[in-house]
Formats: sequence, C-alpha cells, structure tokens
Amino acid sequence: MNRLGILLLAGLLAIAGGCRRESVYPSRPITMICPWAAGGGTDRVSRRLAMHLEQELGVPVSVVNATGGKGVTGHNRGLIARPDGYTLTMMTFELNTMHWMGLTELSYRDSQPLVSVNEDYAALLVASDAPWKSVSELEQEVRSRVESGDKKLTASGTAAGGAWHLALAGWLDNAGLAADDVVWIPSEGANPSLQQLMSGGVSMVCCSLPEARSLLEAGEVRALGVMSPTRAVGFEDVSTFIEQGRDWTLGGWRGLGVPKNTPARVTEPLIAALQRIVSQPAVDGSFAEFMEQQKFDHTWRAPDQFQEFLAENDRKLGALLQSEAMKSITVNRFSPMAFPSALLILIAITLVGIFLTAWYCKNSNGEVVPNSIPDPQPSDQEGTADSLHTVISFGVIVLAVAAYALLAEPVGFLITAACVVFLLLLWLGTRWLPAAGIVAVFVPGLYFVFDFVLRVPLPRGWLG
Amino acid sequence: MSDVETLWAAMATVADWRLLVVIAASAAYGLAVGSIPGLTATMAVALLVPLTFYLNDVQAIAAIVTTVTCSIFAGDLPATLVRIPGTPASAAYANDAYALTRQGKHQLALGTSLLFSVLGGLFGTLVLCLAAPALARLATRFTSYEYFWLYVLGLSCAVIVSSESRLRGALALWIGLLLSAVGLGTDFAQPRLTFGFDELISGINFIPAMIGLFGMSEVLRNVSRQKLAEADALQLASDSKQSSVFHSVLPLAWRRKWTLLRSSVIGSLVGMLPGAGADIASWIAYAVSKRFSKTPQDYGNGSVEGIGDATGANNAALGGAWIPALVFGIPGDSVTAIAVGVLLMKNITPGPGIFDATENPQQAVLVVSIYLVFVLANLVLLPFGWWAIRGGSLLIQIPRRILLPLIVMFCIVGSYAMSGSYFDVWVMLLMGVLGFVLERFQVPLGPIVLGLIMGAPLEHRFLQCLTASTDMTSFFSRPIALALVLLLALLWLAPLLSIKRGNPSATE
Repeated sequence: MNRLGILLLAGLLAIAGGCRRESVYPSRPITMICPWAAGGGTDRVSRRLAMHLEQELGVPVSVVNATGGKGVTGHNRGLIARPDGYTLTMMTFELNTMHWMGLTELSYRDSQPLVSVNEDYAALLVASDAPWKSVSELEQEVRSRVESGDKKLTASGTAAGGAWHLALAGWLDNAGLAADDVVWIPSEGANPSLQQLMSGGVSMVCCSLPEARSLLEAGEVRALGVMSPTRAVGFEDVSTFIEQGRDWTLGGWRGLGVPKNTPARVTEPLIAALQRIVSQPAVDGSFAEFMEQQKFDHTWRAPDQFQEFLAENDRKLGALLQSEAMKSITVNRFSPMAFPSALLILIAITLVGIFLTAWYCKNSNGEVVPNSIPDPQPSDQEGTADSLHTVISFGVIVLAVAAYALLAEPVGFLITAACVVFLLLLWLGTRWLPAAGIVAVFVPGLYFVFDFVLRVPLPRGWLG
Repeated sequence: MSDVETLWAAMATVADWRLLVVIAASAAYGLAVGSIPGLTATMAVALLVPLTFYLNDVQAIAAIVTTVTCSIFAGDLPATLVRIPGTPASAAYANDAYALTRQGKHQLALGTSLLFSVLGGLFGTLVLCLAAPALARLATRFTSYEYFWLYVLGLSCAVIVSSESRLRGALALWIGLLLSAVGLGTDFAQPRLTFGFDELISGINFIPAMIGLFGMSEVLRNVSRQKLAEADALQLASDSKQSSVFHSVLPLAWRRKWTLLRSSVIGSLVGMLPGAGADIASWIAYAVSKRFSKTPQDYGNGSVEGIGDATGANNAALGGAWIPALVFGIPGDSVTAIAVGVLLMKNITPGPGIFDATENPQQAVLVVSIYLVFVLANLVLLPFGWWAIRGGSLLIQIPRRILLPLIVMFCIVGSYAMSGSYFDVWVMLLMGVLGFVLERFQVPLGPIVLGLIMGAPLEHRFLQCLTASTDMTSFFSRPIALALVLLLALLWLAPLLSIKRGNPSATE
C-alpha cells in the first residue's frame, strides 16, 4: 500500500520535473494550425512543411486541422493564440476575403507574416467536347447568350465567394460583362466541380491547374487559359489570360504566419529555419522537390515581400468584393433559413403525430405505448426511475465534464484529468488507494498516447 | 507486356519482406487508432503522411490501405463494447452490436463484424480489379440531381430501419438535419443559427456529437441506474459461455453468402461515388437487409444479420472509393484524397492511362500491385482483428464503477482531439444529455448522426439543382435520377405490399 503511494508520488514528481519551463525558443512542441481539412492541398503542404520544420528546430511540430466556416475557424484560432511562437498558422487566400464578406473582423493586419510558400493561379477549364477553344470564344458565347436572353452558362469550382469564384467574376468584369452573366453553382471544392463538369452539370470550371492535373493529362478537360503573370511551371502549353488580351491575374496563396506582436526572439529563428527550408534546390527530398512533384507552384516570399504582397492582394480583393456586380451575386437567391424552418415545421408535425398515435393506441387498446417493440431489458426501465440518486449521479457526471472543459486550459490536462477521474472513481464506489493507482496509470498513459504517439497536443497548463 | 507477366511482376513487387513489415505495422497502428473513440480513419491516414515520404510507392499505398481497412473495422470495437461508434458507418448498427454485448455475446458481434468486414473488403477489391474503368465512367454521370436522390434514399433508410417507430425515427432525422444547418454553409455568405457563438460558425462537428449521443448518454444512463454491480454480474456470467470468436460466425457467413454479396454490391456502388461513401452504404445495406429479413423485429436489438450486412457493405465501399481516384484522380473521400497526393508525390498521375499495360508497363504493374495490397490488407485484418477482439474483450471484464470514469475521460479527449477545441467538449456534453433524454422517449439516435452528416450535402445539392434548373421536371428527367426515385418509391411502398401478403411484423 505504502509502496504504491510512493511510486505515485515519484511518478508525479518526474512528470513535474520533466516539464519545467525553459526560455530558449523552441523548447516544446509547436502546433501548426491548418484551416482546411486533412487530405486537401493546404493540409499536404502544411504537413510537409511541419516535417522539415521539425528537422530544423528539433522539436515536434504537429498539424491540427481547425476546419470550417470557410477558413474563419482556423485563421481565428491561429492568429488570436498566445504570441509565443508555439502556434503557427498556415494562412491562405481566404484571410483576405473573409473580412470583406463580413464573416469576421480578422484580417492580414492581425498577423505577422513569416514566409509564403506557394502561389497557385486560377485557370479556366471546359470539358474536352465543348466547342470553345479560347477565352475570347467563351466570352463571345457568354455575350451572345446575354443578348439573346438564352439560358446562361454555368460555372463552378468552389463555394460562393471563394477564390475561384472571385477569379471568374474578375475576368468577366475585365471583359466588360457582369459578374452574374455566368451562373455560379457553389460546390465543395475543385474535385466535385470537375466531376460536375464531366457529367455535364456545369459548362466551365475555374480552379487551379494542379487540381485538374489528372483530367488534363487524360484529355477529359481542356484548359482555356491561366490567370497568372507568366505561364505556370509544369503546364507550359496553357497560355495566360494576359497573352489572350485580358489583363487579369488572380491566384490563391499559402504562407505561414504567427499572431501579431510575437517577439523577434521567437520569429528570427523561425524565419531563418523557414528560409533555409524553402530556398533549398528541388532535389534529395527537399521541400521544393515535394512541391514540384505535387505540381504546386513553389514561389516563396521573405517576410517583407510577403507583407507587401498581402496588402496589395487585400486591396485588389476588396475592390472586387465591394463592386456592385459582386454584391448582387453574393446575395442569395434562396433564404438561408428556408431549410431550418422547414425542418422545424416537420419536427412539430412529427411530434403531433407521435402524441396522436400514442393517444389513439391508448384509447383503443388500453396499453401505453403499443407501437414500440418490448424492451429486451425491462430492468433498464425500472432502474431509471427519477429517484434522487439518479438526478445526483447525472449531475455529477455533467459537472465533471464541465469542470474539465473550464479548467483544462489554465490548469493543464494531467492535473485536471487526474482530479476528474479520481473523484468520479470515488463517487462510483472505488476505494481511494486503488482509485489513485488507476489514475496514476491511466492519465499519464492517455497523455503519452495522444501527445507523443498521435501528435494531438493536450494542454500543459501549470506544468508548463 | 502481357497480363500474366504483369501479374507476375506485381506479385514479385508485393512479396518483399519490407512491404510485409509495413503492412503488419500499419495493421497494428490502424487498429490502435481506430479503436480510440474520436479518432477517425482519416486522421490515422493523415498522421501517416509524413512517414510515407520515406517509403516507396507500393509501400506507401500499402500503409494507407491497411491502416484504413483496419481502423474502419476497429471502429466497431468501441461501438460494440461501450457503444461509442468509432466511425459514422458503425452508427448504423451500434445499437445491435451493443445489445449483443449486454447479452454477453460481444464475441459473436465482433466476430461477425470482423469476418463480414474482411469478406466485404475482398469483394470490394474484386470489383476494383475487374470493373474500375467502366464503373468510373458511370460515376462521372452523377450530377446534382442523382446525388440529391441518393442522399434522400440514404436518409429514408435511416427512418425505415428505426425499430421503435417510424415517427420517432423521422423525428431523430429532423433533429440531425436541423443540427447540420448550424453555421456557415457552402451556399450562403452568412452564418445561421449560431446564437452569437463564434465557434458555431463552423457548424457542429459530428465526431464530438456522435461521441456525446452514444458514449456520453450511455454513461449517463448507466450511472442513473442504481445497481451497477448487478449489470456486471449478468454480463460476466453469460460471457464465460463464449469461447471462440469464429466458432458460430463461420456457419453464419456461409448461410448468409447471398445477402453478403448483395450488401457488398451496394457498398461498392455507393462507395465509388465521390462524396457518398461508406456511411451511406452501411445504412442502405442495413435497411435493405431488414426489409428482406425474416426477422425484422430483431433489428436494433442485437441482430447479427444486420451487423454483418452493414459492416460488409461498409468495407466493400472502401475499395469502391478508389475507383474514381485511380481512374480520374477524383478522390471519393478524404482518405483517397491523401492517397492521390501520395501517388502524385511518387510521380504517378492517376488517370485512364495507368490501366494500359501495353503503353505503361511500369504503371500497370503498380496498379496490379495496389490490387494485391488490397487483398493482403484484408487478409492481415483477420489475425490482427482477432487479437484486437481478444484484447478488447478484457475491457468488458473491468467493473463498471471503474470503467465509466475512464470512458468519460475518453469521451472528453476524443472529442477534443479532432480539432483541439474545448467547444467540442461542450458539444459532446450537450449531445450526451440530448441523447439521454431522447432515449428515454424511445427516439433512436442513429438517424441523428446520419442527418448531421448528410444534412449539409443534401441541402447543398438541392440548392445546386434549383440554381441550375428552370422547372421541377429536371429532378426526374435524367435516367439515373429516375431509377433512384423508383428505388426510393419501392423502399417506402414495400410495407404496403407486405400487408397484403399478411406480414404484420414489417408494418409496425
């Protein structure tokens, strides 16, 4: 019994000792926030960059996919974090559009840009059996349909107001057409859009060339032009819009940033490491080689140029998003509340239905709920009587989870989890010594599995 | 190079000890990650990506395929033992599997799940080998209309299979769909139903919701019952009767060979459609299984038939998802998206060309090697899954007063892990309370999870249809869409037919 107590104490001391705070950066694992889903382009770039950073900095760098809200969630999480250099953000194009669209207050001004790693430009694609061979032929088709009042052409590539949607709108604007002369069909991304293009669901797709690479090489789709300043590396046979007489360029970009006011003591080693990674030649498993293999562009910009680029990009997108034509198409044709309202009505109808059936059956058969199959374990139903014990036990569990959610961040996972598990064990009737033993094995074990094996960073709190 | 030579070359590639080590390690890793509630197959694969940089092309693909196959099966372990589905696909039969555990038959439930998973997976591989190019062509004919009807079909299945009552199933589905409407969708520029919480802009994450609805609500239900020790005694007593995992499962598989084939076909077909995948496949197979079963009243209360059919379809769908990925480079799910990335990294561009043995002998060998890797991944699941079942079954023997606090901690960490957010822990807790209350009123929980996952794509496809079309007839005018509508009508109207045949059990 005593030996167990001593072991426990020793274990806790070892944990506390091993986690002492140090002032040299970096001294503990770094989290890289990726605002987009696992498996996508941004995620692949993030994970590869994290791997190189890990080699350069000598501490683990784990990627966390904080997805949703068209990138709002991840950018906010990453750029409002503590400015200590342990939270990096893979910033993307959407940082410069979401504040113009009123989704968030956050803009590039809240970030301290480190190094940008990629710029992929929009391209215009049609199915291989489509009649249009160039951008101007497609423009003529759009124009003649507007004049004759025929059904408008449709385009897809991303969500409403996404990078590729803006690229298309900017091109139409440049050609003297209205942004809504082509109907934009929102989609979840380039892949489903390309699938729609092949099935004849849309007339054109606007997305980056690497995203359409397989279908381009298989001859299933044709690229009419790319909206880059010069032809894209790896796709030299696709001419630019500028060559075809449309002075319009727009592309997505990706780059690392940290929250504003991160001290130079932290950013300097980070920037140095990043510049070493991105400037290596494209051989022997370097970052550049990876980007070339994935057919991502690997233009990179140093902090100052990245900052200038962000400001210029933000101005350009602001002008586009605030133009009358763009405003008219970001207003929805369908009310966002239509779907939820319909569901609320259905819920009400169904509830009435359930009560009526129960009432009808009760009156006709004299049974309570005849339309349900007898419960295989009637003891369940007896036991769940609303006794005082039920209510208290229920409350204890709910409180335990709530306490964890509130305390874990300031106090840290190890201490909070140990307390929660220990108290729950005692409450459910385990004696304190075995309970302490279970906690001593389970909680550090869980921490080890998540933090070191699965690379899910758990909060450290007081243990630094 | 002839087909036979290609096959020999591929077999030589696969029979490399390093590859076999990679497969074995990935199997163990996939089982470990998949059995932790809250960690999905996608996450397991995403964590693998940095390692694939050090592997060659076949090894990298083998690692991914084996990890997915094993982690999808491993999702059934917590679903069966503590009623926390590891993947949304397991939610279709979580209640059946858990009901068997409470009867002390968890070995039977898991054995069925394992064997049918392997058989379904092998069938999916067969479809991938024989018909990939032709089926991929079919998959590209799906426009928004077809997807819309497919989603309606999948959601209808969730209501039809509700064992308590259709109305309650429908209620659960509406709740799930309503929850899915929270946040900022693809089609709207403004978030909705966020009630001022910034975290809700990204919507309700289904992983914490699922853990809460099933896992947390089960904990709450357990502690609200006074006699924890009695429940343990019941379970242990019946547990000792069971000895072998496969003892009664093999005859079952033989008896149900045709239904398994049916489920596998459903799985492969649904799995190959980008954006549909294993989740819908498992629900549709479960509903079809119940519809044609002689004992539909067992479904939801521990039906091994239901478990077997759904789990077979769900693993068959894994092979299906590779069809569009290999043929057009359009990934069917997030796992194949990662796999396509790995292929590109190894300088292989997926496309119709890679199947042409005369033009690209090297790539044809690679494709056949991938098929063989699929077969190996499914075969390796048998012994590894068996060990996992033996190991996992020890969990049941832990008294509940100790097990429950540990499950609470797993629920918390599992919901936190996906995106590292405390908000998700709150979502998990609220969903736990909601699940507890709904079960009191005999409302099934499975349809909520399906509604939550399918709500956004359903609404999105519906709006896409409306944006692209001028009148309602376009919903029915395309041949595949019409076929799906007829299938849907058949599924709903079948009970009317069975009344005439005098089969009251199917009418509820």
